[in-house]
Amino acid sequence: MKNKISSSVSRIDTPEKTGGKASYIADIKLEGMLHAKTLRSERARARIKAINCPNLPEGYFIIDRQDIPGKNSVKMLIDDQPFFADGIVNYIGEPILLAVGPEKETVNWIIENTEVEYEDILPIFSVDEAKDPAKPPIFQKNNIFAEYEIRKGNPEKAFEGSHRVFEKEYRTGYQEHIYLEPQGVIGTYDDGRVTVYGSMQCPYYVKTALIHGLGWNEDMIRVVQTTTGGAFGGKEDYPSIIAGHAVFAALKTNRPVRLVFDRAEDIQSTTKRHPSIIKIKTALDSKGTIIGMNVDITLDGGAYCGLSPVVLQRAMFVSTGAYNIPNVLVRGKVLATNNVPSGAFRGFGAPQAIFAIEMHLNSLAENLKMDPLDLKKKYLLKKGDPTVTGGKLREDVKMPRMISLLEDISGYRKKKASFHKKNARDLRGIGISLFLHGCAFTGSGERDKIKAKVKLRKEDDGKVSILVSNVDMGQGPQTTLRKIVSKILGIPFSQVLYDNPDTDRVPDSGPTVASRTVMIVGYLLSRAAEKLKTEGKTEVTEEYIQPPYIEWDQENFIGDAYPVYSWGANAVEVSIDPDTYEIKVESVWGVYDVGTPIDEQIVYGQIEGGISQGLGYATIEVMESREGGLMQRSMTDYIIASSVDFPGAEKRLIENYYDYGPFGAKCAGELPFVGVAPALAAAVQNAIGVPIEKLPVTPEYLLEAAEGGN
Amino acid sequence: MVDTFKPQSLQEAVDVLSDKGAILFAGGTDLMVQRRRRGGLIPDFDRPVILIGHLKELKEISNSTREIRIGSCCTYTALLSHKAVPEILKTCVSQIASPGIRNRGTIGGNICNASPAGDTLPVLYALDASVILARDNKERVLPIEKFIKGPGTTVLEADELLTRIIIPHSSFNKFFYKKVGTRAYNALSKISFTGLALKKLRAVEDVRIAFGAVSPTVVRSKDIEAQIRGKDIDAIQKMIPEILSHYSKLIDPISDQRSNRRYRKTVSLNLLNSFLKNYML
Amino acid sequence: MEINFILNGKGVKVKTHPLRRLLDVLREDFDLSGVKEGCGEGECGACAVLVDGELALSCITPVGSVEGTSVVTIEGYRETAKYRALEEAFSATGAVQCGFCTPGFIIAAESLLSKTPRPTPNEIREAISGNLCRCTGYSGIVEGIKRASERGEGLW
Repeated sequence: MKNKISSSVSRIDTPEKTGGKASYIADIKLEGMLHAKTLRSERARARIKAINCPNLPEGYFIIDRQDIPGKNSVKMLIDDQPFFADGIVNYIGEPILLAVGPEKETVNWIIENTEVEYEDILPIFSVDEAKDPAKPPIFQKNNIFAEYEIRKGNPEKAFEGSHRVFEKEYRTGYQEHIYLEPQGVIGTYDDGRVTVYGSMQCPYYVKTALIHGLGWNEDMIRVVQTTTGGAFGGKEDYPSIIAGHAVFAALKTNRPVRLVFDRAEDIQSTTKRHPSIIKIKTALDSKGTIIGMNVDITLDGGAYCGLSPVVLQRAMFVSTGAYNIPNVLVRGKVLATNNVPSGAFRGFGAPQAIFAIEMHLNSLAENLKMDPLDLKKKYLLKKGDPTVTGGKLREDVKMPRMISLLEDISGYRKKKASFHKKNARDLRGIGISLFLHGCAFTGSGERDKIKAKVKLRKEDDGKVSILVSNVDMGQGPQTTLRKIVSKILGIPFSQVLYDNPDTDRVPDSGPTVASRTVMIVGYLLSRAAEKLKTEGKTEVTEEYIQPPYIEWDQENFIGDAYPVYSWGANAVEVSIDPDTYEIKVESVWGVYDVGTPIDEQIVYGQIEGGISQGLGYATIEVMESREGGLMQRSMTDYIIASSVDFPGAEKRLIENYYDYGPFGAKCAGELPFVGVAPALAAAVQNAIGVPIEKLPVTPEYLLEAAEGGN
Repeated sequence: MVDTFKPQSLQEAVDVLSDKGAILFAGGTDLMVQRRRRGGLIPDFDRPVILIGHLKELKEISNSTREIRIGSCCTYTALLSHKAVPEILKTCVSQIASPGIRNRGTIGGNICNASPAGDTLPVLYALDASVILARDNKERVLPIEKFIKGPGTTVLEADELLTRIIIPHSSFNKFFYKKVGTRAYNALSKISFTGLALKKLRAVEDVRIAFGAVSPTVVRSKDIEAQIRGKDIDAIQKMIPEILSHYSKLIDPISDQRSNRRYRKTVSLNLLNSFLKNYML
Repeated sequence: MEINFILNGKGVKVKTHPLRRLLDVLREDFDLSGVKEGCGEGECGACAVLVDGELALSCITPVGSVEGTSVVTIEGYRETAKYRALEEAFSATGAVQCGFCTPGFIIAAESLLSKTPRPTPNEIREAISGNLCRCTGYSGIVEGIKRASERGEGLW
């Protein structure tokens, strides 16, 4: 039966966005506001010997590391990244200083006429070079930002006793977010307090970074999110850096300062999805049964650590995909290079790992003369199974039903049989991927690190305010969180208020990341709403309490890596031009379990958008770094899908109530991205009969794969 | 900041041009990108600019029994809606950029930009197009391949203006135009292939073959075409390896941020092969 | 240079450099911030406006070239019944997520519907191929334009 909350309502933000009335950061003008532009490193790795600025006209300023009152480091996991280069630059595009003033033309002139004298240091451009002891390390002694190992069962013994070993290596490339609204912030300084307005996912991350950068008490710092034109992870950590820049400039000039990127600057200097190299070795017994697996993951973290260790953890925790593989050893490393820092991007390490395991099993199935789907079904995780981290899967896994539905709507079996090499010029293929996504923060992260707090307040006019720090960046919480609260309170949707978060008004309900907003924050709001309703209070604060079943050892990565998983299965059908190797995506199907969808249309929107981004990642989104410089630095060269590149998807939702989510909801934002690339690649592999081991699957790559390496 | 002129007639434009040696600005869809600076700043034009995109004399299309004459400031959209414009050119133009750019971008701009990836160029080469260049009441007519010198360079003199493109009528019954871009639409070309033929019964009476984006300028060989012309289709099939090998020597692509040399070369020859094998039949 | 044109139905005069981007003139001189800058090089369509009823990208249009023309931005267009039909349809089909690209899509939709009142899905996809959206995967937008064309009976 269809859950009533799932029926779609009109998104509350549609009219003002559609009519061009919504104020994004670049639309805000403040009295006396100054413009800022960043001077960026042109070298991948160098010592700064001198900086020669032109004589500044009156009213113009240079802001650099000396203008930082507190620490010149951006508070993240290990704080290795400075706000402004501290004598050394480590990537092309690294900020060195700001020019600030009333006229953009003059500000630009200052930047163009500032000369930096560099002394180059031996650069490190790849993860292979990062391991080379001849090159001076960028980070600590060995260039390793993080290195972990997890094991399940006894992998050594499994390999010793194996009949044979099947081994492959997979590589994935950069992906750039291309949120349509470039990064931007405004910093102000009034009455001893600073305020930052900006396009962001995590107002409290920004606030924390400012506390450290300013060395001030938290009461003196306010962060306000402005309507955010897409983020996808790209506005998780990066806004902290530019918020610092704008605030330091506002302090020095005593005026509001606007720092808004244009596209080329955004592409060049903001974070990207981590490139990966993943080696998988599978131990088989004499009957071809999988008895063990080794997965070795290497990520290019770029010049600074950022969120890389957590990205690596997620990649490792889903490295055996949706399967119960016995005896597993997973090793992971993220290395420092003189490339642009890698960071958060929808899926957060999982897309790389899922691509590798899916393609590995596809090739293994072909090797065993089986259909990949039949092989995968044999190992599918089910309720009660141990996860790769030795946790226990407690939920009902509805994958068997989802897979059979997917087989039905896609016609997978029939097509697979009919596509077989009728004609060398008729290259068609179909592929399937099965995947899962761990909802919210890892293990006990929600309890130990995030400690989310939400507040509901009854206003004088009877309306109820949602006070949380989570933002709507397009994914819909302005609508879904209101729906949750209004439904429980039994009041009309329009009676629930939810302004863009302002840290002066809202408690820290955590960052808007990890697909956690509806499941974690929405659940806290649902509990707060119940209390508001039954206890007759005017204000209720609700704090996160960890579901009692979670067991997690963060030191050793043992136990329940995630509170619960959402699940999905994709099928993609392609045809390939026999002359040009261009891939045409003919059809896409997806079946998903996201618990209870809080709003079907919003979830379908996440699915369609995730699929489009996933197909882009898999095919046309090429970004390469040559000697530390990105080859694709504009939207003319870095290509995202247009309306004619991919067809719409046929999609289905299977309900699966989760006890600790609002109305039974789990996570939905990242999941639809995660399985797309492997389904596409499987379809291409099926069409041309050559194993696909690299993303993106470009025509250039296919030509080489099909015709050999010369 | 540079001076900008908006003449009210072609004559006035020519007069200003002979005076100033300026940058001619038609639709501006390439110029505004090439010369852009950061948002909010005026694009970087280092010489005076003459806006000509609005001049009616340059937006006319006229058709005669011998040829079609296209004003240099006809937009792509205008070409698409005119019945006398050759189908192959329409096919090509319909795949240039996006609707908003086709409304402003002009055929003259695409030619004078002389980009190796300029999409109309291979088609115009294949159609034996010429250009009319005007200055101070004098005109000269040049075949398109004589007009384009190299990447971004033409023989246009500082006081000259491209006014018209002449395309002689020709008749073909086999067409193959293929643009390989970075995505399905709204993309720059990695490669483009233009193949035209007139086949009567089994004889190929005329043939034109041109490649874009795979050499500094368009690759077209009248010599090789002459070897194919007049031959029987079966004979041509036998000649295919030889034809491919001839073109292979002419195609000299680069590797860049959009593709690589090997792909461009191999796929160009694949497309030629496909034209000779599949589309000419 | 003084440049005269009609902006959202009213005659305006602006004294500025003719090579300034129309986008900047609209946003800075006229406070029309519904016209967005997404890429600055004619790739994304967020800055789309109508010039004499034709779709144009204001980031690569110098203001000098619109002299004597009629320019319509989302701020002008949103006052029309056609806009209301599109907004209703976009809302019904889930065409809007982050919203940064949306005004540009509305303008592209008007440009299509004014010539082709009952477009097929493929015609819609081609007509919006110069407008990029990173959130929706386009399905909701295509359906929204279709719905507006069907429900906005007689408007186009």
